Amino acid sequence: MIAQLRKLILGETWTLPLGVVATLAAGLALDAAGPGWWHRAGGFVLLGGAVATLAVSLHRR
Amino acid sequence: MTAFLLTLAGAALAVALELLEAMAIVLAVAAERGRRDALIGAAGAVVVLALAGLLVGPVVLARIPLEPLQVVIGMALLLFGLEWLRKGVLRLAGRRAPSSALAEYLDEREALHALAPPPADRPDWPARIVAGKGVLLEGLEVVLIVAALGAGNEGLAPALAGAAVAVAAVLAIGVVVHRPLARLPESHLKYAVGVVLSAFGVFFLAEGSGVEWPAGDAALLYIAAALVAVSQVEVLSLAREAPA
Repeated sequence: MIAQLRKLILGETWTLPLGVVATLAAGLALDAAGPGWWHRAGGFVLLGGAVATLAVSLHRR
Repeated sequence: MTAFLLTLAGAALAVALELLEAMAIVLAVAAERGRRDALIGAAGAVVVLALAGLLVGPVVLARIPLEPLQVVIGMALLLFGLEWLRKGVLRLAGRRAPSSALAEYLDEREALHALAPPPADRPDWPARIVAGKGVLLEGLEVVLIVAALGAGNEGLAPALAGAAVAVAAVLAIGVVVHRPLARLPESHLKYAVGVVLSAFGVFFLAEGSGVEWPAGDAALLYIAAALVAVSQVEVLSLAREAPA
């Protein structure tokens, strides 16, 4: 049951939670480096991170 | 309006697919071990889920300020969405078995058939636990997805409306299983849910961390379009590779 709950929340691979956390961490670092720039374009950085996370999870099975 | 409609559609699809899987398990228990124990197990799980819904919704979500809440919700939706999308890409590329509530129903019946039934005057606890666990695990995902989608600017209304549509649709399907169940393009529907949840995940995560999207709520459409484009390239690429 615990294993199934873990799978339900974090998924079948650790690549996804790690990728999402790394994307957010990169976002926070970029936000601190240039808030103005982040305000306008940060969404596309996060979208890129999500896409890269998906790609890595598909090829690291 | 874009966010409202996407929330409604995403919630309806996600809830319907999760409920279909829960229903497959309950129907299998009912067919194999009796309707009474299946319904008792399912009802127990529904009570636990109602408590979880109350805890996640009014108690937890209502007390967190909007921006940190959007970051938490965005991360949760992104995790759920990317997992659905990953499995969807693998299924569409032929690298994973297609999703099928009917196959789940048949597997569950076979597993229950192998379990010895209890004496006639005793409650069938194994059957109750199988039905309850199935409803609890699928239902928990429903609670989390509806709560997460309902935490957006549109509020709970579109997510709850979508969930209500899904419950009505699944109950209607339940009345006339098996054939409609076999005809549902589940893999494609789950892929679509993956796209919608991931799009909301990126959208909320960005808004919660101070980003202003060009075109406002309509950004959901180009985020979803980008996810479809990249994932379809992955489907083609994985389909071309030799089977694992």
